[in-house]
Amino acid sequence: MIDRRSRLRRFVEVELPIALIVAFALGPYVWMVMTSIKPEAEIGTFPPSYIPREATFVHYETLAARTSFLGNLMNSLIVALGAVAVGLGVSVPAAYAFSRFRFRARNPLLVGFLVINMVPVVLLIIPLFVLMRQLGLLDTFVGIVMGHATFAIPFSVWMMTSYFNALPRELDEAATVDGASRLQAIRLVILPLAMPGIVTTGIYIFVTSWNEYLFAMMLSGQNVRTVTVALQSFIGEFSIQWGLLTAGGTLVAIPATVLFLIIQRRLVGGLTSGAVKS
Amino acid sequence: MKRRTVLKSSAAALAVPMVGASRAQSPTTVRWWYHFDNPQASPASLIAKFEGENPGIKVQAESIPWGGGNDYYTRLYAALVAGNAPDCAMVKLGNQSRLLQMKALAPLDDLLAGWAARRDISENLWKMHRAPDGRNYYVPLQYVVLYLYYRADLFAAAGVQPPRTFDDFLKAAQAVQKGGVSAFGMRGGGGGHDHWGSFVLGAGANFEPGGMVSARALEANRWFVELGTKHKLFPISAPTDGFRQIVDNFKAGRTAMTIHHIGSANEMVQALGDKVSAVPVPVGADGKGWTSFGDESNAVFAASKVKEAAFKWVAFLSTGEHNVAFNAFTGQLTVTDSGASKWNLHPKRFVDATAASTALMGTLPNSTKTADFTRTVWPQQMQRALLGQTTPDAMMQAFERHFHG
Amino acid sequence: MRSRPVEPLLFLLPALLVTAAVILYPALQTVWLGLHSFVLFDPDSMRFVGLGNFSAIVADELFWISLSNSVIWVVCAVGLQFALGLVTALLLNQTFAGRSLARALVVVPWALPSVIIGLMWTWMYDLNLGVFNDLLMRVGLIDAPVAWLAQPGTALAAVILALVWQGFPFFAVMILAGLQTIPSEHYEAAAMDGASRWQTLRFVTLPALREVIATALLLRTIWVANSLDVILVMTGGGPGYETHTLPLYAFLKAYSAMEFGYASALSLVLTLLLLGAVAFYVRRVARQALA
Repeated sequence: MIDRRSRLRRFVEVELPIALIVAFALGPYVWMVMTSIKPEAEIGTFPPSYIPREATFVHYETLAARTSFLGNLMNSLIVALGAVAVGLGVSVPAAYAFSRFRFRARNPLLVGFLVINMVPVVLLIIPLFVLMRQLGLLDTFVGIVMGHATFAIPFSVWMMTSYFNALPRELDEAATVDGASRLQAIRLVILPLAMPGIVTTGIYIFVTSWNEYLFAMMLSGQNVRTVTVALQSFIGEFSIQWGLLTAGGTLVAIPATVLFLIIQRRLVGGLTSGAVKS
Repeated sequence: MKRRTVLKSSAAALAVPMVGASRAQSPTTVRWWYHFDNPQASPASLIAKFEGENPGIKVQAESIPWGGGNDYYTRLYAALVAGNAPDCAMVKLGNQSRLLQMKALAPLDDLLAGWAARRDISENLWKMHRAPDGRNYYVPLQYVVLYLYYRADLFAAAGVQPPRTFDDFLKAAQAVQKGGVSAFGMRGGGGGHDHWGSFVLGAGANFEPGGMVSARALEANRWFVELGTKHKLFPISAPTDGFRQIVDNFKAGRTAMTIHHIGSANEMVQALGDKVSAVPVPVGADGKGWTSFGDESNAVFAASKVKEAAFKWVAFLSTGEHNVAFNAFTGQLTVTDSGASKWNLHPKRFVDATAASTALMGTLPNSTKTADFTRTVWPQQMQRALLGQTTPDAMMQAFERHFHG
Repeated sequence: MRSRPVEPLLFLLPALLVTAAVILYPALQTVWLGLHSFVLFDPDSMRFVGLGNFSAIVADELFWISLSNSVIWVVCAVGLQFALGLVTALLLNQTFAGRSLARALVVVPWALPSVIIGLMWTWMYDLNLGVFNDLLMRVGLIDAPVAWLAQPGTALAAVILALVWQGFPFFAVMILAGLQTIPSEHYEAAAMDGASRWQTLRFVTLPALREVIATALLLRTIWVANSLDVILVMTGGGPGYETHTLPLYAFLKAYSAMEFGYASALSLVLTLLLLGAVAFYVRRVARQALA
């Protein structure tokens, strides 16, 4: 579309609102970053100070050297990637089935997955804990990955179903006409085309797992502690370690944001094909 | 035949030391759950010392996130339900009745009888930790007592003394409330029952049947609520202020008094230096009062298969110098008399205030309803009263109903 | 392509198995508990009460307060997240310098764990030490600091704002993606017909986004209706009952009072209400998803 607005009008209608929105999105984060480079004495003063008089990285140093935070970041990464693998591995075939097959249980099952999302996770915590204990999965990567993947699956199934719906059936037909089996058709034709959708769903699972606290807290122990649980440990009974907490919080947001930066072109393209009606 | 006998007997000879060796080599492992405020603090040095003195026992310490208390206890209850609980753990009195009802705790009287350093902990402390059935399930580990922080400089400028009685408190508060500084940083959020307790339980209310709705109790509570609603001596954020807000705001000089304990003393001094000091909480004209006893103990669980070893570890932590070393990690006070006499982890005036407050120490009732009271019922009613959504009297009636139906 | 009846089942099996194993069993246990009176620390006195919990819920004043708070919560939080997300997406779809960077920065709120969000926003709302009061006073919009989280009028709104901040990137990203699919011919045709920007938005853009918006709203509504971690950290449900939502009430019943039977019944009611709302919604709007 040709944009015939004047430069000034464009500024007022586009650049200015965008600047405001980005400022809104970043404001609290910037406040956290500013706090993380203030010496302890400058945190929590009245009136609040914005620019630190003397910036210091001591909190980051302490975080790296005297706590297990970096190890926790690694744990979170493993858990999140595991959840992505399991979540995608399970929801992609399911979505394919919902998209390509018509069977009586189809609608009830689709709605069923939606209902799963509606169950308040909080109340499931103790029964889930007991279950994981019986399966011997407490304080293991597998246990937390299973927990995270399971709660990401319903959303992933729905998202992937609409991406598969966007790929015309003719593609499957064309592949089989050439002698490919169904599995080969999937592997060689459908999956590559659905890749942007798969990537998008993967990112959603990654972010959800990365930020998750409840499961991680209940199902983890000494061996597997994610970064959200580690952050919580800076909040004690009698004191909050604001310096460490804000430093940790600053670091926590970075992996997901960087991932977005890298993927954002594909992300946009990925969700695209999901909405196309053929 | 001879060779076979030789072989047999040498095999037998070899076998005996093997069995002996393997018994010495398999250590008992004691699993212990703890929570430290400072994530950099680690009990490793204490564990090493203990293991050195007790070869054959290994301590596996697991730090559980506190999460305002909720996460720690959710994990503990879930683990007890799932049969996966540790052998011993740090616990508070507020949970004792629930744990007892779940039959989760092991009575320790026999083991305590054989523990020499038991005498180093005052009989009063043992009494406070004893269960209603007369048995000891908790081994006191550390404690704090709530006292009144005040801004010595603001008081001097206003020409008032730190308050002794409730009436003194009202007069002093009105004198120092000026220039945007609130007189008293009141804690209306979870855990704030400690503040309320000093003024209401200290003035005659109690948790016996009818104790919340007696004339004295209702009068005391009305007086306390009016400090906020009528005299405006609390900051307007009081309803949802938690410990972090009252400490931070006092440190930043926005309140002239607040109630907390020695756990925050070092932080206060760092921010305010000599301007901050402490006295016991206000009492009635008859000298009677109430202040919260902040406890922390270790308990051994009934399902543990290594109770004696677990008790050894628990006892170790509550013994003299080890207890003091433990307190260096947590910032609380030692339960041992020997350690208290040479205390140097906090400035003296706060230790003195704590010592002067021990006569007023009280705990909440050992009832299964208590945890819900402190976490949910008290904050809700207090907040509603401060906001005028309910009357002070209705608030006390709700408490009476909560405990006694 | 003809398919044997067992084929779809094979594709579905992994998802069904994992879901059944990890969620179904605890979920069924929750249903079962909802029919009992069960207090966690008093396991011996557990007894079957049938629908007793549910009739108690109907008579429970706090249930109705929580329900109305939940409705306000969901409608405002999701509505505002959607509105802001839509505007953001439409803007990010235009051309301007630094567009890629803006697109990435906008997702920062989504990338933070709820506990950090709760703590930082509580601190920002602080009476004396918070930046909101400080900035608003400097600019002259208020003359005295406001206790945002401690007053009935502002507490719920304050928490909703934090949630809008957290959730609008989700809508922004999903809608932005949907915008890419609209063929430019549609815009050109509209331009040739002399449509204003507003008319183009209303008659070309939004209808084309219908399915994406419907799915996003649906999933987000379910998520927000069930969420409680931000409220828990910021106000714990207070002051009084001001920020009590239904999931928070169930949570407190379970973990503070330890009445797991009643809490399970509460969450079942929440699930059924959500199911009803979703069914109505799906029937009216998202029919295509199930076609």
